[in-house]
Order: sequence, then C-alpha cells, then structure tokens
Amino acid sequence: MDKCRINIGLVEPSQIICEGLTTILLKAESHNRIFRFDSLDEMIAAIPTHQINLAIINPALAKNNVPDFIQKRNSLQLNAWVGILYTLHDRDVLTLFDATIQITDSSEQIAETIHQLSVNKCHCSNCHQSESLTSREIDILRQITLGLSNKEMADKLNISVHTVVSHRKNIICKTGIKSQAGLTIYAISNKIISLENFA
Amino acid sequence: MFQTKKTYVSAEMRMSELIFENPSFLVMMEHFNLDMATQDKSVEQICQENLLNNEVFIAIANLYNGFNPEGIDRFEPDDVKAIIAFLKNSHQFYLNEKIPEIHDIVDHLFIIETNKRTEIALIEKFFSEYTREVEEHLQYEDNIAFPYFMELLSPKRDCKKTRKKFSVKEYQEHHTDIETKLNDLKKLLVKHISLKDNRSLKRKLLINLFELEYDLNIHSVIEELMLIPLITKIERSISHG
Repeated sequence: MDKCRINIGLVEPSQIICEGLTTILLKAESHNRIFRFDSLDEMIAAIPTHQINLAIINPALAKNNVPDFIQKRNSLQLNAWVGILYTLHDRDVLTLFDATIQITDSSEQIAETIHQLSVNKCHCSNCHQSESLTSREIDILRQITLGLSNKEMADKLNISVHTVVSHRKNIICKTGIKSQAGLTIYAISNKIISLENFA
Repeated sequence: MFQTKKTYVSAEMRMSELIFENPSFLVMMEHFNLDMATQDKSVEQICQENLLNNEVFIAIANLYNGFNPEGIDRFEPDDVKAIIAFLKNSHQFYLNEKIPEIHDIVDHLFIIETNKRTEIALIEKFFSEYTREVEEHLQYEDNIAFPYFMELLSPKRDCKKTRKKFSVKEYQEHHTDIETKLNDLKKLLVKHISLKDNRSLKRKLLINLFELEYDLNIHSVIEELMLIPLITKIERSISHG
C-alpha cells in the first residue's frame, strides 16, 4: 500500500505559493506527502531517503541552466516533473516539464493534474486491494507456520510449486510481514491457527 | 525521529538549534562522543574543538535529518577512524540500552497481559532471536570488519589473514535481515495485536522499536555508503601503490 503513496518534492522560493500548494495537495483525496526544499540539489539529495516520486518546481530554477537541469532530470527516475507557473516562461523551458500547474488553477484542477500523473505511472498492481487473505492463502499460511517447504506444500495441497510461490507473495504483500516467525504470530493473533497446531 | 521540519545541515549552523529541531541529534552527539551542552557554538566550531572532520559530521547529521550523504568523495582515509568510533558507540547504544529496554517492556507485558500470553510469548521469542542476530552482526563488525579496516590504515599492514574473512556482500545481507525482522514486529504490533488494557506500554514498546530502527537504518547507510566506499578506495590505493 505504501508503494502507491505519492511523495512530492516541492522546490519553490515563494513561501505563499508553497503553503498554498501544500494545503491544496494535502486536502486532495490521494495520499500525498509533501517535502519542501530550498534548492534542486537539496531535493535530489533527499530523493532516496524520502522516496520522492514526483517533483513540483519553479521553472525559473531550470531556466538559468537548461543543460544541467536536463541532465539531472534524466539521471533521476521520477514519475513526473511538474512546473508551477505564475510568471511568463519561454516555451522551450516549459517543454522540460510533464505538466504544469497555473496559479489560476482551482484546487480541483491542481489535484486532478497530480492525480493523473500518479495514476498513469503507478506500477503497484494491488493499489486498492483488500488486505484480507483468501481462503487459499489462509491454507498456505497455515502450512508456512508449520515450517513446510514450498515443495511440501505443493504436494500436500495438490497444486504446483509456482502457485505456492505466488500465494506466498500475495500473503507477504497483503500482510506486510516477511519472516516465518512473524507470519506465525500474525496467524495466531488473527485466530487462523491456535497453539494446539504446534502440539 | 520527532522532527517536524527538515533542515539541511551546514557548517555555520548553530548546533543547539539543530538539536531543538531534531532531538535524535542527542543520540547522534552521544555516538560522536560529544557533549550536548553546546552553548551557541556552530557545527564547525564543535568539530574543530573535537578534532572531527566537518564533512563527516555534516554528512552524518544530514542522514539524521533525512538527507542522503554527500561529499563522501572528499573523505580522507583517516576519517575511517572517526566513523568506526561512531559506529562502535552506536553498538553500545543498541546492546546496552535500546535492546534491553525493549526486552524489559515485553517481559512486563507478559506478566500483566494475561489474556495475550501466547502472542506475547511469541513476540518475546521473536525479539530474542532478533537480538541474537543483531549481536552476531555487531560482533562480526567489532571483531572482524573493523580490525581489518584499522589494519589497512596502519603503515605495517598484514591484511592477508583478515581479508579472507571479510566480505562486503555478507555485510549487506546481514543488514537486510535485521531490517526485515524489525519491520515485521512493528507491523504486527501496529496492525494486528491489540493490547487494549496496556496501551501505554504498547506505545512505549513501539516507540522504542521505531527509535532502534531509525538508528540502525542510519547505521547501515553509514557503513554501506560511507565506510565501504572509503575502504574500497584505500584498498585500491594499496594495491596500486
């Protein structure tokens, strides 16, 4: 679930614009997290730790050194670069951005622009999938807690090893728990197994 | 970990203000063996007084503020000593302070949460196994990795013996295992195990886990992105010289 949250890096010198944009984006329905930076380099340094996937920047920052901006832009794997416009900029500079936000845009338009960009690029297939396990996944989980190997589970449940592996992946993805010991505690606290299973 | 605003640390900033902004700096100062009563001294002054390389201190401080390390290419071979001293102090913090605190809370919960004995007993077991893994990894660093790194710095080196025992890959795998387990425990406590009658203890347990995780993550970033590249650079210069 965390995978599809949008972490936005905002580089904009004006305090008023920043605060306003932050308020609008936080009120939007998608899960945005916004980090403000004073310079492009500062944002770039924070990309790995903040897992920033979308940048909103003032085109004036790119205008002065376009080749440098293009190089930085291409070296980073962000989903999108959005320009925030409240002064006039050359057409050439604007082509460097995937989308733009105008100061005259309504809150809904701004939210929609950001939402569109994130929907197009979101690779997380189980974006809105429920976290509850299917009955087959529960079967597999029981076997995991008993310490069975993938092969043993496949034989016992009459399915292929490949299917076992894919169920396991779903279990990990849904519960967010990776270790066998952790999954055992999960199974007990959700009453999927009881201690007698171990007796 | 309680910070609300992220400041990119630089040399002229006042140390005390940085501490007020991000209280995790307190534990960082301890790892650096620095006193936290810093008056109105700047980062640079503190480093000068304590014979610390500015660049190293600032890179680590920025990690605590959530920024990726920078300027690593400007680190000197001699900085290895300061980084190792920092890491050794953090080992003491995990082993003698944070981990025992967590064990104490779990033990306490086991006694008073009579309805959830099974889950708590399993958590206790889980955390004990986790502790053993952390201890093993830290011992590996203290006994194999760090002495090997120090050996590289000494003029009369004979690293052939220790070289065989040290592997960067093994080092990184340890880190991943440690992070996964801690994350599982947090997920279980936040999402699944309800301790209605002992919410404050549960919160204390979680806060401790978050604190441990925060510092451990920084610890592995320091090793993987600062120490190892520096060591690789030294090794290369030795084999070329």
